[in-house]
Amino acid sequence: MVDRLFWRAGFGPSQADRAAWTGRTVGEAVDWLLDTPQGGPVGPQATLGGQAIDPLAGTTDLVLHWVGRMVSAQNPLAERMTFFWHRHWACSRADVDQLFMFRQNDLFRRYADLGANPGADFRSLAYEVGEDPAMLVYLNGELNRRGRPNENYARELMELFCLGVTDAAGNPNYTETDVRELARALSGWQVNTSDPDNPRGTFNPSRFDNGVKSFLGQTGNFGSRQAVDIVLAHSAHASFIVRKLWSEFVAGPPDAATLADLTATYAGNGLQLRPLLFKILTHPQLFDSLAEPTLIKPPIVYVVGAFRQLGLNVVSSSTYSRLNEMGQLPYFPPNVSGWEYGPAFLNSNAALNRWRLGADVVTRSEVTPADVAGETPQAAFDRAYGAVGRPWLSPPTKVAMVDYATRAPVGSASSRRARQLLLRTMAVAGPDTHVM
Amino acid sequence: MNETHETGTAAEIHALRCADCARADSADPDARPVDRLPIPVDALAGFPDGIPQTKGYDRRQFLRNGVLGFASVYAAHALNWTSIFEAAVAEAADPANQLVMLYLNGGLDGLNCVLAADTASYGAYRTARPTLYRELNAPSVPGRVGSTPAAGTGGSLSFANLMVSGAGNNGDTKGLDTLWGDGSGGAGSDLAYWPGMHFLPANGSHFEATDYIFAGNLGRLGTGWLGRWLDLYGSSTNPLQAISIGSSLSKQIRTAAAPVCSVPTAFGNFRFDVSGVGSNANVNSEVGRLAAIPAATAGIARSRSVFDTTVAVSNQLGSTAPPGENPDYPASSLSDRLKTAATLLAANLGVKIVTIDWGSFDTHGEQATAMDPQITTLSRALAAFKNDLAARGIEQRVITVVFTEFGRRVGENGSVGTDHGAGGPCFVLGSSIRGGLAADHPSVTSLMNGNLGVTTDFRTVWQAVISEWLGGDPALVLPGAPFAGISRPDGQTTLLK
Repeated sequence: MVDRLFWRAGFGPSQADRAAWTGRTVGEAVDWLLDTPQGGPVGPQATLGGQAIDPLAGTTDLVLHWVGRMVSAQNPLAERMTFFWHRHWACSRADVDQLFMFRQNDLFRRYADLGANPGADFRSLAYEVGEDPAMLVYLNGELNRRGRPNENYARELMELFCLGVTDAAGNPNYTETDVRELARALSGWQVNTSDPDNPRGTFNPSRFDNGVKSFLGQTGNFGSRQAVDIVLAHSAHASFIVRKLWSEFVAGPPDAATLADLTATYAGNGLQLRPLLFKILTHPQLFDSLAEPTLIKPPIVYVVGAFRQLGLNVVSSSTYSRLNEMGQLPYFPPNVSGWEYGPAFLNSNAALNRWRLGADVVTRSEVTPADVAGETPQAAFDRAYGAVGRPWLSPPTKVAMVDYATRAPVGSASSRRARQLLLRTMAVAGPDTHVM
Repeated sequence: MNETHETGTAAEIHALRCADCARADSADPDARPVDRLPIPVDALAGFPDGIPQTKGYDRRQFLRNGVLGFASVYAAHALNWTSIFEAAVAEAADPANQLVMLYLNGGLDGLNCVLAADTASYGAYRTARPTLYRELNAPSVPGRVGSTPAAGTGGSLSFANLMVSGAGNNGDTKGLDTLWGDGSGGAGSDLAYWPGMHFLPANGSHFEATDYIFAGNLGRLGTGWLGRWLDLYGSSTNPLQAISIGSSLSKQIRTAAAPVCSVPTAFGNFRFDVSGVGSNANVNSEVGRLAAIPAATAGIARSRSVFDTTVAVSNQLGSTAPPGENPDYPASSLSDRLKTAATLLAANLGVKIVTIDWGSFDTHGEQATAMDPQITTLSRALAAFKNDLAARGIEQRVITVVFTEFGRRVGENGSVGTDHGAGGPCFVLGSSIRGGLAADHPSVTSLMNGNLGVTTDFRTVWQAVISEWLGGDPALVLPGAPFAGISRPDGQTTLLK
């Protein structure tokens, strides 16, 4: 159960995690994940070409800085939740200034590091995102002004961020008129870069549509925060967020009673995140099928987990390209709906690049295997398995790997090393390792 | 969105074969020898007894570049190796019609590609677009793109000059007008245009509209319309029958059972390896063994199945040469994808369907800056693609459908852009296609909620692609079929000539 929790809520367990939590309750472990401030990173810091990474130096640096931060995170849940918000309020570096994206990441982290911000709630997050420079650029909010409405953000605020197009019964949650009217209420925001180091979203009353708007059954001269309140008061909101958070951590949808309970918990606590997350992360369904895992690892979880399994924080430009080929380059969601999770993440191109990432990690010079002449196939397997953190492998997979170790040539130091490297890569990147 | 990071636009679902079926495939004890298979150089290590080599082979450039030769091959260790080649060889003997689906991401503004040029329509357009309009039937000048009458339309349509051949318009290059020809639908008129394709009630959500169009249904389904066609009429063993180019697999080819695949734009080194292992192990084969283990959960079954498919694809594609350079293509990621598509289509691997997603056409702001370079590239790349296919001798068996989820609103917004509309453009090209205007143009003077109306339900076109091109019964593929057939202003009713 420790392995399961630390994969679902983090990037896989360390031996220290296993030692610390085995035998204790799930609730204790989840409390730790939710209450421990992220603090500074532990272990070696990620470097690129031997230098500390400056996240603003270039796109590769921006991405790898974050990946490195995840690899060295003390409390992995805070980074998982930061990524969740990035996935949810998806903006892309492809269209947005680098500094804006980096600052938006900090914004998301404030609503992810619940140890530091225990009362974090979705409403405040929605307020802030609507005024965030990256979002104002990405969905054209900065262009949305009196007499010249731009509907882009208004539409996605309802469709993708807060409500969904339809409710569970298939009824539309809003109309095209609601989109147009909501856009008027969201008008007037601009990005102020007069201090180039501190871009800010600022409200310019002269650009605001100062008239009466009618949407979602409400009529009035609403501004942007009132508009957010109206959207969040929609009956579809709570279950929309609950389902999305649930699916980040748990395989299969919640049953009706669970959904009702989670929705009530979220709505009844003023849209705060901690009570909801506690219930999701301690839910028995998260621990279904412990004998064989069920949820496809998103690429970022797989990649960060692979580095953590080997105790390495040595991201490189190839890490960047591998993530891109796997279909999940941080800061570059495919579009405003973020990444679609589930089986979609595994296709033949992604599988090959997942394998290659694992091979990249396993063959790092820092972890070169010692040459052990005369090692039995079983001993070779045991050594390889231990070296990569003893991840879940099915019993027949272990048998097949020992079978490979038995057939592999061992007549030279290089062939014995090849056997170790392939066994380790199989254990980090083989077919069993992409499910959690 | 810049071109480097346009990966992963659509969700990708490979066929999830159940583990028992996969085992049954691999367990076939009576695997028959397969005649004259191309043998990738890199696959040699997988055949401990060696491969009989033949001389004097004469196959397509793709295979000459990428393989050592042809030989009779018995079942290899890796799953599906044999059955995939069986399927590919069977296809090679009798190549099927092939389909390329090019999805333009974000909702292309058809009105600024092909102008409604009659006096009333153009006047309404000019009023609605005081900033973004194209000049009617005039050369382009700095700051203003002109247009050129589309032949055979009696002055009712004009191509934006960005899409027209020749110096001053589109550089010294070929454009869509070369495919349009005289617009008659006869010889040399190889580009059909639907100016108002979408569905009713119209849906302004990118994600709903694309899902419906990919599903071939006004609602989400677990399979794509082409996926269902593959399940019914495709191969149960050859994942190369339907290929998405890029790192994503298109929802259009999401199947219930039939295998499909995605390949990167360049697949020159598509194989499993580990630095330092070298010839000590055939890594593809060893990964294939792990992938063949039966699974208990859907998650592990999925992962092993995908690795199994990947090994099979790798064994077949692993040593093929990268797409050759073709000077006709503009420098673009679209060109790279079309070149790879041409290579795969010509290679007789049983490829029936190729999907490509491209572009970033959600032009809410600064539309001209975002859109104009892309439609220039699109026009040139499609013209080059047709020439490329012709040079490979397969142009007559390929059609290309270029579509988008909706058009843009007729009136420009305050951001020098356009918001989501309804009826939008669809182009279908190929020398087999009956070119010209393929449906009535939706009214520009009388709009539907500010948008172009829908004169063509997308399922009208999908239905024709099935019935006239791919073969099969549209009623078994498209829920609610039959739909209204093609109804052209010239009275013709077919997709093909």
